[in-house]
Amino acid sequence: MALEEFRFLESAYNDAFFNMGLDEAVLDSVAYGARPTLRLYAWEPKAVSIGYFQGLKDEVDEAACKAIGVDVVRRLTGGGAVYHADELTYSIIVPEKHPLAGKSILESYKNLSAGLIKGLEELGINAFFAPLNDICWQDKKISGNAQTRRKGCILQHGTLLLSVNAEEMFSLLKVPNEKLKDKVIESVKARVGSVSDILGRGISYKEAALAAETGFRAVLGSLGKKEEATGLELENAKKSAVNRFQNTEWTKRR
Amino acid sequence: MKGSYIGKAPGSKLFRVSLEWEGQTVKSITIKGDFFAHPEQGFEEAEASLAGQALPGLGAMFKKELEDRSVELFGLSPLDLDVALAAILSGV
Repeated sequence: MALEEFRFLESAYNDAFFNMGLDEAVLDSVAYGARPTLRLYAWEPKAVSIGYFQGLKDEVDEAACKAIGVDVVRRLTGGGAVYHADELTYSIIVPEKHPLAGKSILESYKNLSAGLIKGLEELGINAFFAPLNDICWQDKKISGNAQTRRKGCILQHGTLLLSVNAEEMFSLLKVPNEKLKDKVIESVKARVGSVSDILGRGISYKEAALAAETGFRAVLGSLGKKEEATGLELENAKKSAVNRFQNTEWTKRR
Repeated sequence: MKGSYIGKAPGSKLFRVSLEWEGQTVKSITIKGDFFAHPEQGFEEAEASLAGQALPGLGAMFKKELEDRSVELFGLSPLDLDVALAAILSGV
């Protein structure tokens, strides 16, 4: 049976609150019958996102973020803190009964991130899925992915690091033992890679987004032409940005 | 009394426990970290249900509360809670 055509949104650069709000708004749309949706996007200004179960004060130096204009947002999804600077982000929303949801959460992570792996192949990068939620190249993590399941739908979003600046990242993120911060930075440099590092050249968001589009087009069965989010989605995204993601009750809930 | 713990079981995600207790009873407990729980709300309900419970066997109690709500956990085992509690209580 042919898969239903995915809707394709590319919203490019927006702030953290709108980005998370639009993911939630699209999840609501799919829950109310819209087509499964792929979205590609990026973050302006730069932002730190923390996982659903993380403690804000444990993970983020809020004063340091404020000082350089970096937004801080809590995600709907679990996982760790992420510094969203030079990266491509995708989100994919499908009903839980969709064939790509698979028979287990692990299988769904693999299926829903397969397009990004295929997109990396377009760039000449032979990446692979590393359970539970990472995409790696050789021994380096280049993408982290996270999921939530609500209203009968799966929202999976993930980042692809285009370049990484570990020093800047850890001027904003806290580590469990500050005395060992230098060692943590060295360890992260050894374990985390970026597309630029691998290719040995810079890569723009536009080039990465085109490769990701090609990759997802190949694995999703059918992906529609690029379109805009609906008026209702944009309206709901703005409401969600203000009422949830910018709201300190949400950000500081843990 | 109050105590906290930061740990990471092999192959698991980092987790932090903040505990307030009196005698052998939990007054409040928060479990934070990089882990995933589906559904998230079920995890929070199970976590909240631990207040008022006895400290001994709290990990098994947490496991049951998660199972009762069909919560799937990734990157954390409910029994990791016992490791955290042992560390917190031995620090007293």
